[in-house]
Amino acid sequence: MADLAKMRNEIKKIVQRDDVKYVIGYEKGTYGWRVSPSFARTPEEVDKFIFSPLCVNNLAVYLVLEEKLPLPKGVEEEKKKIGIVVTGCDSRSVVQLLQEKAISRDDVVILGVPCSGVVEPKKMKEMFGKEIGTVAIEDKGEKYVIVIDGKRREVLKEELVSENCKTCEYQNPVISDILIGDEIKEKKKESYSKVRELEEKSTQERWDYWKEKFERCIRCYACRNCCPVCNCKECMAEKTTPVWIRRSVSLSENAGFHIMRSLHTAGRCIGCGSCERVCPMNIPLSKLYKKVEKDVIELFDYRAGLDEEEKPLLSVYSVDDSNEYIL
Amino acid sequence: MRKDRIGKLVQILSRNTLYAPVERDGVTTFEKVEKVEDIKFDYQNSDVPPKNVLFPQTETTFKYTLGKDQKIEVPKENGKNIILGIRPCDARSFSILDKVFEKDFLDIYYSEKRENTTLIGLSCNEPGINCFCTSLDGGVGNKEGLDMLLTALEDEYFVEVATDKGKAIIENSPDLFSDASDEHAKKKDEINKRAESLMKRRISVEGIEEKLDKIFDDDLWNEVSMKCIGCSVCTYLCPTCHCFDIQDEATLREGRRIRVWDSCSNPEYTLQASGYNPRPARINRVRNRIYHKYEYYPKNFKVIACVGCGRCIDKCSVNMDIVEVLSRVKEI
Amino acid sequence: MENPYLPNLAKIENVIEEVPGARAIKTFKLSFNDEKLQQSFEYEPGQCAMVSILGLGECFFALSSSPTQKGFIEVSVLKLGKVTAALHQKEIGEDLAVRGPYGNGFPVEDWEGKKILCIGGGIGQAPLRSLIKYVLDNRDKYEKLDVIYGARSSSDLCYKKEMFDMEKREDMDVHLSIDNAEEGWDRFVGLVPHNLTRIKPSAKNTIAITCGPPVMIKYVLLSLKELGFEDSQIYTTLEMRMKCGIGKCGRCNIGNLYVCKDGPVFSWAELRQVKGEM
Repeated sequence: MADLAKMRNEIKKIVQRDDVKYVIGYEKGTYGWRVSPSFARTPEEVDKFIFSPLCVNNLAVYLVLEEKLPLPKGVEEEKKKIGIVVTGCDSRSVVQLLQEKAISRDDVVILGVPCSGVVEPKKMKEMFGKEIGTVAIEDKGEKYVIVIDGKRREVLKEELVSENCKTCEYQNPVISDILIGDEIKEKKKESYSKVRELEEKSTQERWDYWKEKFERCIRCYACRNCCPVCNCKECMAEKTTPVWIRRSVSLSENAGFHIMRSLHTAGRCIGCGSCERVCPMNIPLSKLYKKVEKDVIELFDYRAGLDEEEKPLLSVYSVDDSNEYIL
Repeated sequence: MRKDRIGKLVQILSRNTLYAPVERDGVTTFEKVEKVEDIKFDYQNSDVPPKNVLFPQTETTFKYTLGKDQKIEVPKENGKNIILGIRPCDARSFSILDKVFEKDFLDIYYSEKRENTTLIGLSCNEPGINCFCTSLDGGVGNKEGLDMLLTALEDEYFVEVATDKGKAIIENSPDLFSDASDEHAKKKDEINKRAESLMKRRISVEGIEEKLDKIFDDDLWNEVSMKCIGCSVCTYLCPTCHCFDIQDEATLREGRRIRVWDSCSNPEYTLQASGYNPRPARINRVRNRIYHKYEYYPKNFKVIACVGCGRCIDKCSVNMDIVEVLSRVKEI
Repeated sequence: MENPYLPNLAKIENVIEEVPGARAIKTFKLSFNDEKLQQSFEYEPGQCAMVSILGLGECFFALSSSPTQKGFIEVSVLKLGKVTAALHQKEIGEDLAVRGPYGNGFPVEDWEGKKILCIGGGIGQAPLRSLIKYVLDNRDKYEKLDVIYGARSSSDLCYKKEMFDMEKREDMDVHLSIDNAEEGWDRFVGLVPHNLTRIKPSAKNTIAITCGPPVMIKYVLLSLKELGFEDSQIYTTLEMRMKCGIGKCGRCNIGNLYVCKDGPVFSWAELRQVKGEM
């Protein structure tokens, strides 16, 4: 994990640059174990920055959320950069955005931090949901050391860490202007065990499983809104001419929305797990998106968000592509 | 009433449509139940508020046939509902929502359901860490909006009746209920006092309306709204949020007009067909939401449209904290 | 109990194509299928109605006919989105579904004895037409009637025939304008706010009502203030995206005022002190 003082120093240098608007990082939340995204414009504000396994949000979403409002006559657009603190998976989001030209390389200063896993908020809530005082966590390899009000406690890492992180193959940022912290040497392998579990069931069993989950969806669209890659100006779910997905909440529309979104993000989703984290109804979305990710690897031998020069998978074709499905 | 008699009560109540807290996959919501085994009693507060009983996520306002001969038909309202186990804050939210749905044009869909629904509340023995109902005229034993309130004592529920509907439940099954003694009442007061003392979050909202009036253009809103990602979870899970959309769903021959939940944090919420949007940036929408709850609603209806349930703080993935924002407002 | 969301079927009696082309405007003359309802339907100038095509959606339109004209209502529709485009395809004899009237109207009774100055631009003339016709039908109650109206070009002018007829009347003054010069146009050429400053109407005992694109309203306001109009003498009627039309869905608010219920008619004195986005 990063040395906090060193990280703050590096970020202060970035913030003071003339061509940088602000840096996005993490700061302590308002209660308990919560951590909140933070925007620092001055070195004093950088002193609030922290980095720990509690920093779960994918900050890349802020790069596409900034509104470009029409400016009054005579006022020039401020062409400054945005600094962003990214871990391994978040850096793949940034690369994916660069590949799709949603942002340009000159717009960002990337501060990469090698990451050995973040916590699962639902498990944190179960264990520490009653603590209103600050909960701090340190990663000590196999264990997490939790400090609340001065009292220390040790918990096995695998009881709190996010499921996604257990099989993460990209713990080091794949792109960075500055790397803060030591590179992580261990290599994990994604085995898709949960996906295979579902794949082995019959079609009817699989439908029954997802039917029960999709029926509970309340169509808040939080999964879509927190995803950095879902940045269409007009989402297919909001379109009225023609209506692809009706506004009413029912099994058919909910299933339609989720299946369509997983296909629209095929080859673009990097598996950060934000969608499952924000879902208020606890729908196991990562199973759905990991399945699409697995299919993309098997069909096209392609992994999203690794090389910014690469062309996005489903936006290009070559004349050798299989034509068997054309009758 | 003795706790072990709750099963019998549920049996009698489920002759109507009974809604109670049910847990699925770690999420507690209010759903139709028939057996007492399905009900989850040891919960702090449901994740989705029971507003979907009176104001459903999707509701058909009327059906119609198309073609040469167009006809319009309103669906019939069905029977009586009972909500068991609702917390005092959520019940109070209904008396707040009543004001907007009943003013000027009576919303018959909401008010018919409201009239036909009996609310049996369960007071909180322990508050959640983000609860702040006491700061907003609420309380763990507050009976506003409720027909009957149960407080869990050791082996019994202390039952208080607030309206005629609540009285009718006792009159329906008198053998389940017995008179409470002064001892019981004292115990209940102790439990309520203890629960309220455990509530950590407190904020004074005195003069908040006037203060907000003055600081509309303050830089605070820029800072506060920067981290909002517009996910709309806070609006869907808020017991007093009432924004909705009206859509038509039809085939060539027939269709229906529906009312569905919508959220003001959606960028397209106020987008006009000409392309002009009065609230184009997140600062406009975040500020509008906070002002709607703490300034516009009080200006129109004399009550703050927030019950202090804390769900928005719990569920926000970027830790937007209304209590923190309000304390910053007071400091300006 | 009356259901405020339930519309009533109304037949299209007549369609007038006011403006052809890309930004087409059509005026629809509607009468309710239920005779009794049509006779008892009362409204004030400036009020609006929700007109819908069953199966497609609803839109909030200002009633451009005056309540003194009995037996029908009129709405003027600019083709811009899904529902308005479908409305433009409708023909005489087809059914629409209408509910209303909604909103507050112009406070015409408070204005009796005063001079009325209407300043409109483009489709914004629609609610003003209701007011103008009402004043003409009650002409002796008002001291003076001035109408300033402009559009991009002569083919974008609404109610052309009516406006040219009104120009000839003795009991009112009409000042038309278009933004860019055209052959055959010998009236003023320029933007509506400029026309207003050129005419210099007196602010004494006058009520000014303006309606049009937001940017026009802004400049007309500046001009009116320069001419000495007080905030309470300036009225406007606004529009917003609307769904319920009765102040419940929370969409059309400006601060604590709902445009569908507390508006769409507002005095500038009211709008100035509200804290919200317009």
